[in-house]
Amino acid sequence: MAENGAKATVTLKIDGVEVTVPSGTRVIEAAEHVGVVVPRYCYHPGIPTRPAQCRMCLVEVEGRPKLEPSCTLQAADDMVVNTASDTARTARQSVIEFLLVNHPLDCPICDAAGQCMLQDYAYVTNQLESRVDEPKRIMGRDRISDDILYFADRCVICTRCVRFMRDVAEDDSLIVAQRGDKAYIDTFPGRELDNPFQGNIVDVCPVGALVHEDFVFKARSWDMDAAASVCPGCPTGCNVTIDTKENQIVRVKPRHNAAVNSWWMCDYGRKHLVMTNRGVRAELPLIRDGGGDGDGDGGELRPVDWATALDWVAEKIDALGSPGGSAVVSPDASNENLFYLRTLLDRLGVADADFRVPQGETAELPTVPTLKLRADRAANAAGAGFFGGRRADGPPNGSAGGALVVLDDELEGAGEDFGASADFFLYLGTRLPGAARNADAVLPIATFAEMDGTFTNFEGRVQRFHQALRPPGLARPGWMVLSRVLARLGDGEAVDDVRGAFERMAAQAPAFAGLTWDGIGLKGAPAAEAAGVAGSAEAGA
Amino acid sequence: MPGEVKVVERPRAESSYVRAAAKGMSITMRHLLSPNKKTQQYPDEKWELAPRTRGTHRMAVHEDGRAKCVACGLCPTVCPVNCIKLVPAEDESGERYAAIYEIDEFRCIFCGYCQEVCPVEAIHLGVHYENAEYSRERWVYDLERLVEQEHDVTALWDPQDPASQ
Repeated sequence: MAENGAKATVTLKIDGVEVTVPSGTRVIEAAEHVGVVVPRYCYHPGIPTRPAQCRMCLVEVEGRPKLEPSCTLQAADDMVVNTASDTARTARQSVIEFLLVNHPLDCPICDAAGQCMLQDYAYVTNQLESRVDEPKRIMGRDRISDDILYFADRCVICTRCVRFMRDVAEDDSLIVAQRGDKAYIDTFPGRELDNPFQGNIVDVCPVGALVHEDFVFKARSWDMDAAASVCPGCPTGCNVTIDTKENQIVRVKPRHNAAVNSWWMCDYGRKHLVMTNRGVRAELPLIRDGGGDGDGDGGELRPVDWATALDWVAEKIDALGSPGGSAVVSPDASNENLFYLRTLLDRLGVADADFRVPQGETAELPTVPTLKLRADRAANAAGAGFFGGRRADGPPNGSAGGALVVLDDELEGAGEDFGASADFFLYLGTRLPGAARNADAVLPIATFAEMDGTFTNFEGRVQRFHQALRPPGLARPGWMVLSRVLARLGDGEAVDDVRGAFERMAAQAPAFAGLTWDGIGLKGAPAAEAAGVAGSAEAGA
Repeated sequence: MPGEVKVVERPRAESSYVRAAAKGMSITMRHLLSPNKKTQQYPDEKWELAPRTRGTHRMAVHEDGRAKCVACGLCPTVCPVNCIKLVPAEDESGERYAAIYEIDEFRCIFCGYCQEVCPVEAIHLGVHYENAEYSRERWVYDLERLVEQEHDVTALWDPQDPASQ
């Protein structure tokens, strides 16, 4: 086998299927190419170290006297691997039997039940009875950090969490304390676990030993619905899965994307995303049509249905012609929302759209260069830039005349007279801040978690997110609303499906030329204007 | 032209009620005196129910009076008519418990799956049938009420013949 060094690929046989893989590939990974998932605990594709200590991935290799751990075994030419031979299966069953000696079998109250690798493999190996008469050792639970609980009895000491902290986050604060059946995971004496990426240890835990405190007892795995999404916390755009129960976000997990976040995400992103949809929301379209001239002194804002609101807004815009004016957009708005807004602004003759990006602390994961918590606290500042956005500081200025359009900005620091002098003040927002009091029309729109759409991340990568929640009241996606306003003005058609919105954007906005909704897929694709930048960044990953 | 009513003459012996009344009374008297009475004197006399009768639920309790339920969520999951509402929570000692546990007995079809699935033998169907209430709301039994029930719990299978062979 030593002669393989020069060869680019090796061909081996796994469970009777021939497979060619790059040389240096481990058997456990080669097996995935033929659709065989070898049971594993200590192996995780995102963690570089492979101690081969769980003994779960043992496979039989023809011509070798003993079973070999497939996570460290390099695939070699002419190797014949049998992952499901009787010997391999018996060995696996014995491992499970040993792990279950002290496992409390508290699946009914364990938050991992249904997504637990110990549960799964106990069924797969048919290890249903225990031969042990001794009482189980009981260790209880521990708070391992501010927000992570450790249930020592459930732990299988795979050390994924310890190795994630040590080898991926390069933080030595987590250790395996004691030995043998007394072993447990703990912080190093005198150290605390306060890494900005520590939440990932919960995701790598194959059992229910590590649990986020804010998820404990919240939902059973089969009660949750999952949606593929993108974290809006910073311009990195980590791919995530949003788990919801009864229209509430209960958990956020990173979704693998080698070009962006690898297998991980930061704790800020998790907390931020869960908080995104809290608070009082704008739920009804409001218009101020009482006085007739509609420039803020025309009576009260009154709730109306969508058709009335859209007709009225379109009529006003049609009457205005192209008065110029100003716009404030949120850098958290999706590309589609920004595109349709830009189309509307062009019609009104508004050139610039100010957006303000809040700043925050940064954090880096040392071994994953593409994954950083960046200082900008906005999902789509790059997208806002594509559509004539202008980065601004300080409170929004709403004193100009002409048209004033605000897209989902909370207008922090805006004065009481914000928009009072505008001829027509249109507010599209998820919430209804006080500064929208002078608006002539308020159209409630959905947050990113309540609709389909795309964000452009810091390096110009366009990434799809999918609807996880139902929007409250009559709130609808911004592109759906704006496409209807434009359709009433004779510009294009009303779209009901994000594909329609995306296709129109790709056809009309040069930055998105050549992209298709299906083509982007769940992993994203670089925008046309940023292709060069994105390419180099990916090569670095 | 008006129709004519045909009058049929019957002999008195046939048209008299005395014979029929006497016959009826004789049946009444026969049953009154018979030792083989069928009528059950409900509510003075209650039904004897089989041990596997499936009636309204009852929650088992620990010795200190706490419900045995650990809020695992299996009964609302398995329930074919979604009549169980469960909201789990964490108590002071970190144990999982049911903050809200309600069974809508109107919706319930008494299939017994909840009892079968319960990992801690907390929720049981009961050998019980007297459930009349003045309002529909009263048919939603909360945890307190389920704990208070005193009737026998249902045996889901015969211990001598668990597989029903």
